[in-house]
Amino acid sequence: MGATFDREGPGARSASDVWERPAVAESAAVEPEAAEVVPSFDLITRFLPDSVVVAVRGEIDLLTAPALGGVVAALMDRGHLDLVLDLAELDFMDAQGLGVLAAVRARLQSTTGSLAIRSPSDALRRVLDIAAMTDLVEIRSVRAEASALGAEQRSDAPAAAGAASPPKPADDSQAVLAALPVATDLVDAALRLVTALTRATVGGADGVSVSLTRHGQLTTVAASDETIAQMDRDQYATGEGPCLAAASEGHWFHVESLADEVRWPQFIPRAAAGGIASILSSPLVVGGRSLGALNIYSNRERAFGPQDQELAALFASHASDILAEARQDVTADEMGRRLRDALGTREVIAQAQGVLMAREGCSAESSYGALRQSSKRAGITVRDQAVAILATVDAVARGLPIAKVTS
Amino acid sequence: MSTELSLLERARRQTGMSHGELWFRYFELGGMSSALELEAYLYDALSPTTHERDLVATALNERFSELGGDHPVPYSDDLDEVVP
Repeated sequence: MGATFDREGPGARSASDVWERPAVAESAAVEPEAAEVVPSFDLITRFLPDSVVVAVRGEIDLLTAPALGGVVAALMDRGHLDLVLDLAELDFMDAQGLGVLAAVRARLQSTTGSLAIRSPSDALRRVLDIAAMTDLVEIRSVRAEASALGAEQRSDAPAAAGAASPPKPADDSQAVLAALPVATDLVDAALRLVTALTRATVGGADGVSVSLTRHGQLTTVAASDETIAQMDRDQYATGEGPCLAAASEGHWFHVESLADEVRWPQFIPRAAAGGIASILSSPLVVGGRSLGALNIYSNRERAFGPQDQELAALFASHASDILAEARQDVTADEMGRRLRDALGTREVIAQAQGVLMAREGCSAESSYGALRQSSKRAGITVRDQAVAILATVDAVARGLPIAKVTS
Repeated sequence: MSTELSLLERARRQTGMSHGELWFRYFELGGMSSALELEAYLYDALSPTTHERDLVATALNERFSELGGDHPVPYSDDLDEVVP
């Protein structure tokens, strides 16, 4: 375990005249004996012109909460009253950690100082919500973060509770995540690239588009020019055409000459009116299912020879690979979200058990039994009963009248 | 190993949950066993602790509740055994 902050000189000094640049410094660990048993836990303290940021990595629990409390208390003792707790890399925090936060907030109440919590996980946010501490969470604008990342601003900002903060440092992991495009944007960007490459590489290609089935409907997600975008629209409007056919039947369709084409009598005249003379549509197949098509048109008849058709098939398979990977990411993403929520529920249940154990003086297993029985009696889930118990504790702490809770 | 289905496995089939879905709900409630161990419990190939078994029962019963039913799977502290 490492808790680090600079050892200041004997005289009391204000943060601004000592620290000209952000510094991470060393000091003795708070509890050396506990160091062997404590799992990965790190505190990194950064002194900035107007605040101190304490970043916590790892877990805050029974063993590590005192270390955090000690560091924060020492900072406040030395006059650093504007504190930011960066919890972006916090894996877990239990009631002990909440206790530390509550104590810090209480101590700051009679001062001009402030405490802000930065980048709490969703699970931690729920816990803070139950503990009525969400007012401590720094309000950060996602757009400001994204533009800060682009502008590469390095200065940090004081974080008064509840105040909107200016753009934050580029090394903040949360800002990086916020600035990344969402999964669908990445896929569309990759498909636009394939479209551009296809147009540049396939001989005779005057326009290229990619159409995908999204939400049950075929839509154009990339188009090199307006002519082909219109061609796609004409197919959606008439409900027929080589692109629709390729997408629905899963094999390629080649119109060598629109003038000679007898299929798709509604669509062909419209395309011809747009100046299109030949069309090549290749399906995008993932896992045996056709998800859309890569469409190429030319202003010349019979523009696509065997080599061009092979190239088109190659680019279509590239586009299919992109889609296949994206689908895996979505599932992994969903699974990650579900796991994260599950961890949050476990935390809430564990804390409610803690409350019952303290209240009844019983074991962890007995407390679970009590939780289970009272939730069954109330006709609610164990999780909801746990939430209700924690809400009661919060109400008591705030001196509010308690709604009757069967427990 | 018994050739009859265990009570837990019978209950799981009645709820229509997959082994994975059951594990997830069991995990949400605080379960500490892996998905493989849970499957072993369901097939009587491994004995869970009383507490872990109660968690599996809770996960199953909460699903039964969602489906409009009661809590048919007994807990360790239930005096009456109710066969689903």
